[in-house]
Amino acid sequence: MRILLDKLIINYPYFAAVILFIIGALTVLTRSNLFKKLIGINIMESAIFLMFIAAGNIRGGAVPILDEANPRAPYINPVPSALMLTGIVVSISVTAFALALIIRLYQSYGTTDARRIAEMKREVT
Amino acid sequence: MTATIKANLPVFVVIAPLFVAFVLPTFARRIRLVESLVIAVGVLGLLGTGYLASLILIEKGIPIIYSMGGWSAPWGIELRVDSLGAFFLLVVAGVSLPVALFGVDNLTHEVGGSAQTTRFYVLYLLLSGALAGMAVTSDLFNVFVLVEVATLSCCGLVSARNHPRAAEAAFNYLILATLGSALILGGIGFLYIITGHLNMGLASQELGRVWRDYPHVVWMAASFLLVGFGVKAALFPLHVWLPDAHSTAPSPASAILSGLGVKGYMICFTKVLYNVFGTTLMREFAMHRILVLLGMIAIIAGSILALAQDELKRRLAFSTVAQVGYVFLGLGFANASGLTGTLFHMASHAVIKSGLFLAVGAIITTTGKHRISEMAGIGKKMPITMAVFTIGSLGLAGIPLFSGFIGKWYLLSGSLEAGGSLAAVVIIAGSVLCAAYLFPMIRIAYFEPAPVEDWQDPGVPQRIALVLLAAGVVILGVLPGPFLELAKGAALELLGSM
Repeated sequence: MRILLDKLIINYPYFAAVILFIIGALTVLTRSNLFKKLIGINIMESAIFLMFIAAGNIRGGAVPILDEANPRAPYINPVPSALMLTGIVVSISVTAFALALIIRLYQSYGTTDARRIAEMKREVT
Repeated sequence: MTATIKANLPVFVVIAPLFVAFVLPTFARRIRLVESLVIAVGVLGLLGTGYLASLILIEKGIPIIYSMGGWSAPWGIELRVDSLGAFFLLVVAGVSLPVALFGVDNLTHEVGGSAQTTRFYVLYLLLSGALAGMAVTSDLFNVFVLVEVATLSCCGLVSARNHPRAAEAAFNYLILATLGSALILGGIGFLYIITGHLNMGLASQELGRVWRDYPHVVWMAASFLLVGFGVKAALFPLHVWLPDAHSTAPSPASAILSGLGVKGYMICFTKVLYNVFGTTLMREFAMHRILVLLGMIAIIAGSILALAQDELKRRLAFSTVAQVGYVFLGLGFANASGLTGTLFHMASHAVIKSGLFLAVGAIITTTGKHRISEMAGIGKKMPITMAVFTIGSLGLAGIPLFSGFIGKWYLLSGSLEAGGSLAAVVIIAGSVLCAAYLFPMIRIAYFEPAPVEDWQDPGVPQRIALVLLAAGVVILGVLPGPFLELAKGAALELLGSM
């Protein structure tokens, strides 16, 4: 038990990522407000970003630029950070597109509640 | 000269559609030019992929490798045209060209205006570029980026029709697909954390060394990837977005989404499963059993749900759910016949389902009717369209001499080799159910009195597109030679025995 707890405390960024991921996934799946679904997606993606960044980090590591004076200094792995930059761009495009769709849905149904929209659709058909 | 072409073709077939997609909006007012550009890219892509595939066939599967930006494997992104890549490239190019041809003259009134048509083609080219990329990439993070490009363009295509139901279907699809991408990215993250590589080959070698130390991480990675790709490829319990999305999209979009869209994710999943995890790890973690089980459930459930639909496009959409089951089933067999069958089934389903959706699209735009019960006697008024529909249905049901038969035959022998007699029964039952949900349409169309309205086959480009796809179904069924050769080569490659 003690060892498990220690592991959790040392690896707290991963633990935070797991909690964020669960919060996000639950928000997406259980909330019917379209905006809240979108926010849930964003939280979930942030959790994944956090996991990647934490994986590339070294405590006390420097920026990965060669230091002439001290060439053997530990530096953090730049690859996950670079990957997550791409991930953030993707997440922004998804958010923008989803917001555009929400606007169109609001214009035609007058609500941003997924359940009400489903009910209205059933009444039409 | 030939050496230069050969060295650069792998990147050209991916970049060309993407490049033209971004140039296209500048010609938005001249719809003819837009259409001819799209067709030209399609023809060029088909020629390029045909050349690549023939090279692979002649050289017996020696892969053509292109390093993006001149950075080779551990640092840069590697594009790798092997048998699997060439096979799927050929499927993408061969299906996307007729579908683009179908849109000529026809699309404008379906999406409402030439500006919208141009936007549609932009998304269409982005999707085909991303699919071509999925076929050739061998970098895990590149897989994620291409998956996202494909997902966003698929969502855009679903919402192309200016209709509130289309927006709703697209939103649901977007949310679930993004959930899937987050899971895929998470799975890739786990693999990267324990292996330190993003290149599939290197990650696989490293994973072979370290998996015993991190069994839980491997489990997490595999389940994240299975659920992520499962959502995107509409594996049965995760298919909920598909029927709405595929039935509200404009018909060329439904054709490309059902025919190619879901296949791209399956190819990525196949690559991750076999090129990164490999058969040893699959057996060690019982992944193959899970895949076979999920595949069987998807075949039966998808077919039964399809039977319950009266709206023709929805019936076809649920049929896609059932056919996705076959692909996952074959992936689970993990032997050469099963994989050959899976790959061939993917190709034949891509051709057949595009043909079926286009035929149904032609019927719906002409008659304005969506339900099967309202289409009595349509075969006497629209003979070409209905003939294509009939050929497609026969192919999907797996009648000999049509393409679906060969895929199912190899799947069947794969299931017997893997010792799954239940799976063999399910494969045959799926075929029978497929006949049960498609043949009533043929009966109603041909053997009911013809309607009084003056309905006709669609215009010349549409007819050419339909006939091309129907010819594809028959050619794949009668003379599968080189295609089957590529699929077999790809299966051996995936199993690592080459």
